[in-house]
Formats: sequence, structure tokens, C-alpha cells
Amino acid sequence: MQDAFLSEEDLDLRTLSFEELNRVWNAWLRQAQATNERDRQEYSHGVFRREPEIRDQSQPPPAGG
Amino acid sequence: MSGELNIYLRLTDAFNSGRPRALLAGGQAVVLYRLAIMSKDGDWILREDEEALQHVLGVLAAHGARYRFGAPLALPWMCGGWSAHFEFPYEGLRVRTDFVTRPPRLAQETLAELWREQDRQPPEPAEAKLGAAHLILTKQTHREKDYAAIGELARLLEDPGMALRYSRSARDILELSVRHPELLAAARQDRPCLVAVGEGREALAAALDAERRSLMIRNEERLERYEQAARDWAAVWPTVQKEIEDLPLPEAHARMLAAATGCLPTAVPALI
Repeated sequence: MQDAFLSEEDLDLRTLSFEELNRVWNAWLRQAQATNERDRQEYSHGVFRREPEIRDQSQPPPAGG
Repeated sequence: MSGELNIYLRLTDAFNSGRPRALLAGGQAVVLYRLAIMSKDGDWILREDEEALQHVLGVLAAHGARYRFGAPLALPWMCGGWSAHFEFPYEGLRVRTDFVTRPPRLAQETLAELWREQDRQPPEPAEAKLGAAHLILTKQTHREKDYAAIGELARLLEDPGMALRYSRSARDILELSVRHPELLAAARQDRPCLVAVGEGREALAAALDAERRSLMIRNEERLERYEQAARDWAAVWPTVQKEIEDLPLPEAHARMLAAATGCLPTAVPALI
């Protein structure tokens, strides 16, 4: 018995040929586009976590700011 | 496009054309290790020299990439551990490309040796990726999901001493300790949680959890230091972004350099 970190489905990638892996990978990337709007300002890597908020210049700045 | 290489392998291939310059890291490297598909963005470690950065900028320009908020892809900032970020559309995908030359937790000498090794034995350009042990170090982030990937990456390490240093499984560590007791003392010096090996599986699992939380906090603190240092840059970014959004990448890059100089410090104090 082993501690499980990832699902069997994840680890099934090991059984795929390179061509099959590439196909599954591409399909996954396509499906993942569904969250583009939600993570529009986010970062997956590097030293930044979120893009700065862009304030509507036509609106006055918040009081005290 | 089912028969084609995916965009991240195509980019890695192009970045490494003629010379090793880029190693795939992050989630896409985890896919190359055939562990899981868990990220839609690309992350590369670049060789820290002017030619490498210019070549990568050229590849990105050919794809119509634009800068996201981040550091310019230029040596002064890359040497300070900053990251540069780009985005472009490709066949219906939003492709994001993230770059550093000094990934966290990898020592300068380790990086130098890594590039010497790439020169001695260049990998297939499209499949150049960070080694499993180094990938583990870069994935010791503030995100829970990275520790799942680390758990499986550690199982790929053939050197039992390295496996003892990076495994996230109490079971695996106890088994390794029985098979290689001579390696445990040395591993303990680098990894204090291994002191719990003699206290049983539950105690070791708790020590591993505490270690993970501590690593997550340290990474958060590191990012906070960069966030503080980028405060002025963040304030002017909306203006800079507006100026560069319709420019071809070479012109946008020149404008980024001019705007960031004196605004985004190249060095950030007290790095991990």
C-alpha cells in the first residue's frame, strides 16, 4: 500500500504513448480555457500573484485614498 | 491538431533552437514526467545571458505575444529573481508564458551546473525540462496542489538519499530509512522533520504536514517582499500597459525597459 498524492487517472498518463499524451494534453488545455475569465488577473508562476487592479479613470478615487 | 506537438513543447523547441536556453518547469514539466495535467500556463527557467533572453523575445514576438504585468525580460531584473510574463492567443488557446532565470530555492552554483550539463548533453529541444529534484524545489510554493505533484516527483528520484530529502510520504520515508539507515543521518541535517522517523508513522506524517505549512508560509513571505518592491511599478502599470498594448513586442519591450528603470528595483532584499 502506498500513500496517494494524485489520482489513478492522473497517473494513467504513464501508460500513454507520446502521441497519445500529446493528444490528451491538448484536449485538456482546450477544456481548461473555460476558466480564462475567472483567472484573467492571476499568475501561476513567478513572483506575482495578481495583476494590479485597473481603476476606472472616469471615477473619483476612493475617499481617503 | 491532434498529431501536432502542443504549444508548450513547440515553444520549448523554438527557445532551444541551436543552443540550450530554456528548461520547461512548473505544471507542464510535470506532464512531461507523466504525473498529471494540472496547469494551463507555461513556465520556463532561462539561461541567464543576453543572447538567450533576446532569442526568447524573438520567438515570443513571432507569436504576437504581449507583456503582462511583471518585470521586463532583461538581465538586471532576471538577476534579481523577478519573473517576466507574456500572453498570446494560439488556435483558440490563451497561451501564457512565464520566465525566470533564478528560480526560488535553487542555488546559483546549482543553476550554473545545470546549464553546464545542458551544454554537455543537450536534451531533445522540445523536451528540455527541469530535473525532478530541482522541479521539486521550485514547486515548494504556497499552493497545496504543488505538494501533491512533489509527492509523486519524489518517487521518481533514483537516489535514496534524495528521496529521503524530498519524499512527502511517511510510509515511503520509513521504508527508505529501514533500507538505507546510513543515509538518514545526513538527510536529517537538511530536513529537520526527519527527526520524527523514530517516532512512528503518525508522528512523521504530522512533521511532514508542519514542514509543508512552513514551506508555504516562507514562499508567501517571499512573494510579499516582491509585491512590496513592485508597488510603484504596479501603480504606473495601467499607463504603461495602455502605451504598449498595441505595439509589436520589440517596441513594447523597449518601452517596458524605459518605464521600469528607476521604478521597479532590480534587487529585492532578503531573498530565500
